[in-house]
Amino acid sequence: MAALFELHSSRSGSSAVNASREHGSLDDALVRAAQQGDRSAFGLLYARYSRMVHGILLSRVPHSDVDDLVQDVFLQALPRLASLREVAKFPGWLATITRNRASDFHRRSKPLDEFVEETAAAETDPPDPSSPPSSHSTAEANAALDAILSLPESYRETLILRLVEGMTGPEIAARTGLTHGSVRVNLHRGMQQLREILGRKAAPLTGGEL
Amino acid sequence: MNKHPNDHENEIKMTDDYLWNGSGTPDREVQRLESLLVEFRHVDRPLVLPAESSPTSHKPRGLLLHTPWISRLAAAAVILLALVVGLFFSRRPSTPLETGPSWNVANLEGAPQIGSKLISTTQSAAKLYVGQTLTTDSSSRASLSENDLGEIQIDPNSRVRLLQSGPNHKRLQLDVGTIHAAIWAPPGQFVVDTPSAVAVDLGCAYTLQVAPDGSGTIRTTLGWVGFHLNGRDSFIPAGAMCLTRPKIGPGTPYFEDVSQSLRDALFIFDTTEQSTDAHSKQLDTVLSQARPRDGLTLWHLLSRTSGPERAQVYARFAALVPPPPGVTRDGILALDPHMLDLYWNALDLGDISLWRFWEQSSDPKSPASPPQMILKKQLLLKRSP
Repeated sequence: MAALFELHSSRSGSSAVNASREHGSLDDALVRAAQQGDRSAFGLLYARYSRMVHGILLSRVPHSDVDDLVQDVFLQALPRLASLREVAKFPGWLATITRNRASDFHRRSKPLDEFVEETAAAETDPPDPSSPPSSHSTAEANAALDAILSLPESYRETLILRLVEGMTGPEIAARTGLTHGSVRVNLHRGMQQLREILGRKAAPLTGGEL
Repeated sequence: MNKHPNDHENEIKMTDDYLWNGSGTPDREVQRLESLLVEFRHVDRPLVLPAESSPTSHKPRGLLLHTPWISRLAAAAVILLALVVGLFFSRRPSTPLETGPSWNVANLEGAPQIGSKLISTTQSAAKLYVGQTLTTDSSSRASLSENDLGEIQIDPNSRVRLLQSGPNHKRLQLDVGTIHAAIWAPPGQFVVDTPSAVAVDLGCAYTLQVAPDGSGTIRTTLGWVGFHLNGRDSFIPAGAMCLTRPKIGPGTPYFEDVSQSLRDALFIFDTTEQSTDAHSKQLDTVLSQARPRDGLTLWHLLSRTSGPERAQVYARFAALVPPPPGVTRDGILALDPHMLDLYWNALDLGDISLWRFWEQSSDPKSPASPPQMILKKQLLLKRSP
């Protein structure tokens, strides 16, 4: 606990300029502490990485299963953490466990294509004219999520982390272990494709509402 | 008007900047998607680790109100309290100015309110400023977040007020309802005031519930939390819980996997007067049922008993958890603070230095200046094994 206190104290004095580097060193220290059995440190890693894990899962499995799988991922990571030799690789390592957990989910259930089609059918039903206005936003949100899910894997994961989880590009890079360049390209090209899809869908949706 | 050949390229770059890190010219399409998709965003919830997966840990929340006689007491107190609280709030100043430090608020469900303003699900940048109150009705939930602090989920039927949001001191007031806190700020920096105790985060995840009668329950999921009122302290490590009552303060904490008879005995022990037959009888039950893990409970009982009862508690505690070097029977019976601290640390539930540091730094007579904090940190590191 004293070690954690030291970490917290060093973090509280950090400047924005050094934020990225200090986040790295903080995470490294947390991983080392968690490897030695410090569950508080593991809890802090959970607090810092659960959004990333949630976003990666949301880009691959049905929304209703994501929360349980987030817990699964961290429960899988805990006993394996001791085998991680380079603590700096924790973000990429955790992202890989997350993607593998999503693949495992589909191996035990259905292929992703079916899931995308099912959610598209289930979640983008035409809005009920008698329902309150909030359900229109929900239908719009579902349609937007479906559009993202129809993008290539690397684009949909990065866009979900940015648009759903509210992470910035640098945060996505730090949390997933990807380079800044890769994240920026994924965001740019993914957003371009998403605009095209949403543009195509706009006319039929408007017609449906009328 | 001169046209630059790279106007279009610059425009894309500016749009990209917003997509990249939220800077530059806001991209309306990206903004629209952000506010639409926020409903799919991760909602922080406590991580349940294997060691805490005992059957009792999955009991429904609201234990306090499910206890029959407490429910009756609570019902009686509710009417009176509602009048007092209503009067109290009606006399408060109107909504403060929306300036100064603030926390981000997200609508997770229903229609939470800041003051009298509803927070919509599409509102991506709602703020709770110091002095403002966030309320949820029976079908609403919200979350509060602050970059250097953590995230707090507000359950239905809750009311919280932001009291302080300085760089090293952040304070909420929970009048009623339930919050789930996941905190990554340094230990001791985040404090929640409730009607019957002050909860001090010592890192890092817990659920705090306040009933309408002002009584409360805290359950810690990760790290540990200090519960404090008028010099009465309880430390609640992960897997443990503690009840608190108005005017009395924090009860004796216990692990959630204790036997029902120990739990019941402790409850009665905490609410009956010392030196009565009922009090002694319950203490006997607690001591006979205690396991080594329940050293948590017995350590707290040392300072909540006196005379022969304290000797009785010490005997059982020492049998279950051998006293560490530097701790003597006489010292503990005399409640020597240093020995009590050493004995607490022997339980390996958290370094009590963190708590002592919080006590010192929260005392307005001895504010912890940066040099003091550094000295304290060095002291802590020396003391750690």
